[in-house]
Amino acid sequence: MRRDRIATDSGRDVTVVSRNGAASARDAAAFSTRWSYARKRQLFLGALAAPALVYVLAVAVGPMVQGFLYSFDNYNLIRPGSRHFVGLDNYIALWRDPTARSAVINTFLFTFGAVTIEFVLGLGVALLMWRDDWFNRIALGLLLVPATVTPLVVGLVFKALLNPEYGMIGYALAESGLSGPRGLLAEPQRALATLVAIDAWEWTPLMALILLAGLKSLPIDILEAAAVDGATAPQRFRLVILPLLMPAAFLALILRMMDAFRVFDIIFVSTSGGPADATNTLMIYGVKQGLEFFNIGAASAVSTVIVVCILIMAAAFIAVLKPARNRHA
Amino acid sequence: MKPFIGRATALALGALASVSLSGAEAADKPYDGMTLNLASQNDQFAAVLAAIAPQFEALTGAKVNVDIMSYPELLTKITADYVGHTKGYDLATVDIVWSGQFAEAGYTVDLTDWIKRDAAEIKVDDIYPSLMASLGGYKGKQVAFPFAGYANVLAYRKDLYEAAGLKPPATMEEFVADALKLTDKSKKIYGFVANGQKGPAVAQDWMQYNRQFGGSILDKDGKPALNSPANIASVVAYKKLFDEAAPPGAADYDWGGREESFRQGLVANMQTWSIGAADYDNPKVSKIAGKAGIMLTPSAEGQPQEYGIGGWALGVNKDIDPKKQEAAWAFIKWVTSPAVHKELNLRGAGSYLRKSEMTDQELLAKYPFLPVIATSFEHGDGDFRPRIPQYPELQDLIGGAINAVLVGQADPKTAMDDIQAKAEALFK
Repeated sequence: MRRDRIATDSGRDVTVVSRNGAASARDAAAFSTRWSYARKRQLFLGALAAPALVYVLAVAVGPMVQGFLYSFDNYNLIRPGSRHFVGLDNYIALWRDPTARSAVINTFLFTFGAVTIEFVLGLGVALLMWRDDWFNRIALGLLLVPATVTPLVVGLVFKALLNPEYGMIGYALAESGLSGPRGLLAEPQRALATLVAIDAWEWTPLMALILLAGLKSLPIDILEAAAVDGATAPQRFRLVILPLLMPAAFLALILRMMDAFRVFDIIFVSTSGGPADATNTLMIYGVKQGLEFFNIGAASAVSTVIVVCILIMAAAFIAVLKPARNRHA
Repeated sequence: MKPFIGRATALALGALASVSLSGAEAADKPYDGMTLNLASQNDQFAAVLAAIAPQFEALTGAKVNVDIMSYPELLTKITADYVGHTKGYDLATVDIVWSGQFAEAGYTVDLTDWIKRDAAEIKVDDIYPSLMASLGGYKGKQVAFPFAGYANVLAYRKDLYEAAGLKPPATMEEFVADALKLTDKSKKIYGFVANGQKGPAVAQDWMQYNRQFGGSILDKDGKPALNSPANIASVVAYKKLFDEAAPPGAADYDWGGREESFRQGLVANMQTWSIGAADYDNPKVSKIAGKAGIMLTPSAEGQPQEYGIGGWALGVNKDIDPKKQEAAWAFIKWVTSPAVHKELNLRGAGSYLRKSEMTDQELLAKYPFLPVIATSFEHGDGDFRPRIPQYPELQDLIGGAINAVLVGQADPKTAMDDIQAKAEALFK
């Protein structure tokens, strides 16, 4: 059947390929025309995609491979002559050096802390806003405001707000004894948690939005059937809504995890990785190595670790997501 | 449509006329049609520089694009440009502490011979030798030409000193005693503030106080001496000032936070770069207008009376062709010439260079603290932050260790011993 359609689409003077498979000379000609058309079409589509493909190879894949290769070298841009192969030294240093190790640990703590809080709060907000009325529509618009602010600005604003001497929040917290006199960002035990809270302030709405989109696409009839069958609200949530929401939830989780793992702006402008090593993360450490010391070998090792960690997280989510989608879609 | 056509014709005629005019003037403009790209640090001088650049074009024909960026962006962009030989920037502002790195890597043109050749035109004698030596000067080379000199000065609250019956401090010992006396935590008045935030912020401020306390980052042979008794004593003193006389939040202050606490009237003493001084008397941004004094920074008893200096120089990219290098050098000479440099400062650049500026009546009327800057430049020390190729790593080590001490995560001796070992590895 397909042969017929393609042949007709070509718009040439070719008759329909016989269905009983009789191989006349005319059929053979038609076949070759069709084949070359398909091939042309393939070439045409390939040519359309080529610029994008070349672009991605040149600006994403190429540098990534190059970075991976650099990560095995001692290579400093300021002293290019001293470049030499050091094997896994740059990776080993990431665990041996206490500052680098703190960066690895803090990155995981930040990511899991921020994403967990954002997911729980985001799910709550999404459920609250599920019903479609005018209040929720306005609230949804307002809720997205934090997500539209550049993280760098968020960092600067919160640094000023949390200042214990003249910041609106920081002054009140210090006076009431909730933060200690130095303020939340200058206390090693609380600085990372504070940054997690700032991240949650900015990105919970995005999480809520994705989850809300998931909720709105749930089939109403199943929910109604569950209600008719006498399922209580908690039962409906646990047994019907949550499993059906899984694809949207995983999408939201993976997007935020990838982003949180690369956190840089808010930390760079608010604590610069301090106090001591309390908020030092992989990106802060990597940027310092690469763009302050021009230590390309060490910076490439950090980038590679970040890429590998994100790939593992993405693969894990996709693996979990696939059966979920097959079951419920 | 008619009026439009009329206007269009007039415009076209005007354009033609200007083209023929510029053709006639081309002979007088040696760099006509040339464009110079200048990468500039986003300090007070940057906007003024961009505003004044068209005057250079009118004079020589060379258009100067001033690309203004933050400190890390500037360093990254110009280093990438130099390393990759991409000739993106013909000129760049060069921080005092980059001199050694630039000299070793040979990124910029060594201007020594040109300065000698054009000494009379430049009026070299009018430029403070301390600025010439430290802003771009390194081991006999001049990798950039001094452009914006800053002096480390002590900003203090005249009213608080008067109320307490104290005289402004003449020595570091008096400074510490005054800071402690002027602190009244119940009234939220603090005697001292400095940068405490991890990284360059705390490193640079501590290095300044360290010099005044009698410490030194490098020993006589130019090797790191971070755990010397004098340096450890100065870390102890710095922490004491933070614990007993500074706003508690100062442990996370960078330059912005520190300046803001002074302008908000929380603090009696703050050492700072002279560039911010003009703001304290501006009631729009300051609660202490008319109450702030600017004076020389004190040194510990028995220490030489020297003052910390910093600032920016202008460097010429070594990769660009000779004709462009010549135009870039012409721009440097023009922008640092007495008349143009004075004009920059009248417009608020806060970037001093010449002795003649310090006695200029117009400038003095606007900035009465110039004599303090003049004395600081005359006895300036530009090496309290070592201008060596290893500076970025050294600054990072110091910035991490001092911040850890301030927030109680390390004791001074252990912290300094630890970074001394790491610093030694950088010099192998």
